[in-house]
Order: sequence, then structure tokens, then C-alpha cells
Amino acid sequence: MNTPEKKPVEVVLVDDHRMFRSGVRAELGQAVSIVGEAPDVDAAIAVIRQAKPPVVLLDVHLPGGNGNGGIDVIHGCKGLETVDGQPVRFLALSVSDAAEDVIAVIRAGARGYVTKTISATDLTRAIQRVADGDAVFSPRLAGFVLDAFGAAAGEVAQVDEELDRLSAREREVMRLIARGYQYKEVAKELFISVKTVETHVSSVLRKLQLSSRHELTAWAMGRRLL
Amino acid sequence: MRVDPEPTLKGAETTLNRFGIHAFVRQDEVMPTPYERPVPPAEARAAERRAARPQLTRPAEGKVIAGVAIGLAHHLGWPVRWIRLAFVLISIPTGAGLVAYVFLWALTPQSRGGVVGRGRRAVDPADADALAKAGGVPEPVTGAGERDATRVLLVGGLMLGIGLVVVAQNAGLNARLGILVPLLVVAAGAVLAWSQLDDSQRGRWLGSETGTRRFSVARLAFGGVLALTGLVIMATRGRSLAAIWDIGAAVLAVLAGVALIAAPWALRFWSDLRHEQAELARATERADIAAHLHDSVLQTLALIQRKAGDPGAVTQLARAQERELRSWLYAGPSDSDATLATAVVEAAHEVEDLHGTPIEVVSTGDRPLDDGGQALVRAVRESLLNAVRHGAPPVSLYLEVGPSGVEAFVRDHGPGFEVGEIPEDRLGVRQSILGRMERHGGAAKVRRLEHGTEVSLSLPPDLRPPQPVAENDHTTNAQPPTTPPTNVQPAAEETREHA
Repeated sequence: MNTPEKKPVEVVLVDDHRMFRSGVRAELGQAVSIVGEAPDVDAAIAVIRQAKPPVVLLDVHLPGGNGNGGIDVIHGCKGLETVDGQPVRFLALSVSDAAEDVIAVIRAGARGYVTKTISATDLTRAIQRVADGDAVFSPRLAGFVLDAFGAAAGEVAQVDEELDRLSAREREVMRLIARGYQYKEVAKELFISVKTVETHVSSVLRKLQLSSRHELTAWAMGRRLL
Repeated sequence: MRVDPEPTLKGAETTLNRFGIHAFVRQDEVMPTPYERPVPPAEARAAERRAARPQLTRPAEGKVIAGVAIGLAHHLGWPVRWIRLAFVLISIPTGAGLVAYVFLWALTPQSRGGVVGRGRRAVDPADADALAKAGGVPEPVTGAGERDATRVLLVGGLMLGIGLVVVAQNAGLNARLGILVPLLVVAAGAVLAWSQLDDSQRGRWLGSETGTRRFSVARLAFGGVLALTGLVIMATRGRSLAAIWDIGAAVLAVLAGVALIAAPWALRFWSDLRHEQAELARATERADIAAHLHDSVLQTLALIQRKAGDPGAVTQLARAQERELRSWLYAGPSDSDATLATAVVEAAHEVEDLHGTPIEVVSTGDRPLDDGGQALVRAVRESLLNAVRHGAPPVSLYLEVGPSGVEAFVRDHGPGFEVGEIPEDRLGVRQSILGRMERHGGAAKVRRLEHGTEVSLSLPPDLRPPQPVAENDHTTNAQPPTTPPTNVQPAAEETREHA
């Protein structure tokens, strides 16, 4: 975990519901400062390009653009960097927990996915985690990953670098996250450090984004991303 | 009682009905229960159909000409062969049978599916096999013998007719074969061709089913050629070949002209029809959505407004509604409710409704619901009840169904408890969770974590379908050895259970 006295993370909030934006703004504490808001794809790209925040909280379903919502925003901000030279990172936030939405936005480049029912403290923690370059997996996303990589069916990668399957360790981490464990608890459970857990999660995220596994491409095809 | 007359719009209509019915039923309910799928009315109908005398319909399958004989046979409960024979017999002297047939054909509604309702939709009516089976539809099918019998009957009838005509001719009666034969040919051709334009065939003409379409086209062409030949023979009696040629050319020219003039109208009509169909489908869909939103979301919003003072109830209502809408939007229609994952998820929703504590459910994989699965569902339910009663939120449930078995984890963030501390007489955990799982060859463990408790339940793999049993099994049980050793091998438990 990070030290709380760090300066607040700058965040741009993209969501087409004004009530939700003001709700998040009110909820998020001192650790996060919202430097911009946008209700649709085109405004979001403009605001993000101008503000260059380390983290963008991004709704998956947005009006405008090419009709792909949050994915269009991620594509429109490709290669954008903050003043510190860090890439602008995206944390998807949605009411939808349909598999194709989740997988599509992750494959477009988001660093994590949380649902809108998340508590304020968890959201703050997730934002900080994304700002640090780590991935944020909700239990549900972990479940999808286990499903999509056939890990629940017993498929395990022989080599860690294999893109189409999870390694045994990654699978364990995903299973614990799906069971509702925090990273800290996962680390304790598996007798590894939190940093190692984060490494595993990031590597799963990378596989999720790069793998050409059939189920993943099928999901992406469903969203006409390929 | 009609038997599913129009299958293309059937789905939409029944859903609409369903919602309509729902709207009345649910008006005065206090809690919006999770959306229920009523029993499809088709089954009830089928049962009724079996009980009463079947209505006179023409089945689309197994027919020889238009299905009148089969329908009649089924309606009266007589063998179809007798009916057919009777038709042929009363047709021969005066043609009365033929008239009766055409009459019945015109007035009898067509039914979907076989008379016996066995759903043999794939059988093509023009198929020889189907014809063979048609002979024995009301009674048990006897296969090849039936087919031969039908054929013998047809050929015999034909021979008999020819013989009668010849006898009559010899006896000095003028049967006027010159007119009779071409007339018969025309009639046969027309019957063959028209039977294609029956309402059962229209769907096939409009689209899909290319395999059976070839048969239909062949039948239509054959009938058309037959009728045309008869007409030509009749029209050209006693004229020279050159005259026939002239007449033919003139007829062709007229036909071509008519086709040319009618083509734009026909095309226009066709596209209008298509457009109309699409519009209708869209309107039905919209009505469907509107009905659903009215029944669910609007009702819940009204309830929420009334209960604005009670935040607990509001949360519970909103949560239940969210779940219902979500499953309607994303899950799509699921007919097979009898799977383990759906049953577990349902149990979780039930607990959520009872106590209003949100439960995060994640599940991967699935399998049919068997006895062990039922036990697992009940144990999961019990664990969840424990978690929401004695633990603290967030409560999460993870279900993994894989080749190495089923595992379920229920976790809460309460103060936690140890199995050893539970008094012997408390049945909840000991009997409902631990005992139940062991009785079904599974295992249950309760662990106390730093924050909260985790109940883990497991079942051995489903052995009935021959599946490759997990190769990478050793990675699944990475539980630290600190857990109480309640996990006994499934086989040992089985024997203990039976002892």
C-alpha cells in the first residue's frame, strides 16, 4: 500500500450521468483530486488531452465517437503521457458486468475494471493502484479471466510467458481475487509479497490484452473491435 | 384448440401474452419478486390435445397430396389407408371423392408438426421415407412394409381404374377417353403444383431450408409440366403440328408480355410485404420491452417512492430490481435452469432478498444439476445465511466448476468463528453444511481468516459423462495445511455413508 501523505492523484472523470459524476466527486476523499469531467467521447478526448491526468475514470457506455463508448476514448488518447512522462492510465467504471464489456475495455487498454457499486474507499485504493501502474481486478473480472483462459477447466501454462494460458501461480492469484480476497490477503495466503501479487496481476492483464485466445477474440469480435 | 398455427410470430406473441398476464398478476404484489418465466403454454395445449378428440386439421408432414386423408383419419380414429381407399373408390365412378377431397382441402385448416405431435419438423413432405411413415402415423410405424403397402395400393388403384375404363369401353359405353385422359392429367398436375402453395410451404419459399426447397421446386415443376401437357393435348385435339406451334408461340408471347407488365407491381408488392413484416417484428419487440419495463422498473420505482423513509427497504428493492434487469438485459433467454451455476446464483439472490445484504457472486464453468449439486446449493445457501447473519459485508461467493470437481467459497468479513467452538447441538453449520457435503461425497471446511470467515465446499468431479479427468490437479488444492483436516477422501465417505 502507498503512503497516504502522497500528493493527491489527479483524475479526469468521464461519465454521461451528471448525478453519478457529482456523486463520485463528493465521495472521493483527499487522496484524489478531480481535474476534469466529460459527458461524452469527444469532450472526454479533448479534456484528457488538455489535462493529461495520470488516471482517467472511464464509463464503458458513452455517447458520441464511433459508438464504442469508453473504448473510443482509450483509442483517441493513445500514446498520451502525463507531465511526468507516465502514460495516461484508464480505470473502467461501469454498471455493466457483461463479459464482453469487461473484456473489450480491458483489451482496448484499460488497467482495471470496477463496477459502480464499489465503495468509496475501494475506489480510492483502485485509483491509487492504477496511478502506480498496477492493475485492478475485481472478483468478477478475475472470474472472467479464469473462464476465458480455461483456467477453471484446468488449463495451465507450462511456461510463464505463454500468452494463451495462465501460469499456475497466476491462476491461484486470480482464484483468490475471485473469492473476494484483497491483494494483501492474497499475499498472506500464498506466502508471497504484495509486490509479487501485483506483478502476477499485471502479467495476467498483459495476457488479457495481448492473447489471441479464441474466447477473447470471440468477445472482441462481438464488439467489432477486430 | 388449434395446434400452433403460426410459428414465425409465435415466440413474440407468447412473450407479449406473458407480459400482459404478468401486468395483471403483479399489480397488487408488494415485493417485485425476481422475474419468473411461466410454463410455456404449448405444453398445456399438447396435453389437452392428447386428451380430447383432435380437431380436423391437415398435418404438414407425411402427406401424399394435401394431408386431408391423414387429418381425417386422425380425427375419426380410423386407419389412414381406409380413408385413402375410400377417397379413391368414390372418385372412380363419378369423381365425387375428388370433389370431396378438394372441398375438405379448402376448408380444413393446416396444422404444424405431425399429427402425433412428435415434432418431426425436419422431415420433408416430398420425401419417400416420410410418405412411407405417413401410412402408419396414427398407429405404430412399421417401416418398409408400410411403404410397400402404400405403393401397392397406389399402383393397384391406378390399374383398377384403367381396367374399369377398358371394360366400360368394351361394353359399348363411350368413356370419351380423348377428353378424360387429358383432364385427369391436368388435374393431377394442378394438384401437385397447388399443394406447393399451401400455407405450410410459404415459409420455405420465402427463405431458408434450401435442402427441402429443391424437392418442392421439383414437385412444382413436375406438376406444372403435367398440367401444361394436358392442356396442350386437350387444346390441340385433331390439329396439325404446325398449328400447335403457332398456338404455342402466341401463348408464349402473351405470357411474356403479361410477365413484363406485372413485374414491377409484383416486385413492389414483394418489398412492401417484406417491409411490413420487418415493421411488425420491430413493433412487437418494442411492445415487449415496454411491457417488461412497465412490469419491473416502473413498479419498483413506484415502490421506492412510497418507501422513501426506509433506506434498508429501498436498497433491497433497488438491488433486486437491478439484478432482475441485468439478467434480462445480458443473460438472454435461458431455458435450461437446471444447471449448478444458475442454481447457486439463484440461492445467493434469495439470501440477498431475505436479508438485504449484497452478495458478490462470481462463477466459472457449469454442469448439470445432480444430487450432489443440490446438496452443494443447499450448503451454499446455508453458508450465505450464516455469513449475512453473523458475519459482516462484503460477502462474496465464488463457484468454480471444473474437471477436477466443484469448489465453492463463501466469504464474509465478520469476526469469524471456529468449528470447534460451535456447541454440538447447533445444527446449522455441523449438519447443514459439513454433514450434508460429506453425505454427498464432498467436503466442507470452515476457516477463520484475519478478517472474517471463509467456508469452502467441494464436490468430486461429475463422473457420469466420460470426461478427461484433470491432469493438473495438484495446483487446485493450494490450501495451507493450517486448516482443520475435515477433508476425507470422497470414496471413504461413500462407504461410511452406506455403512
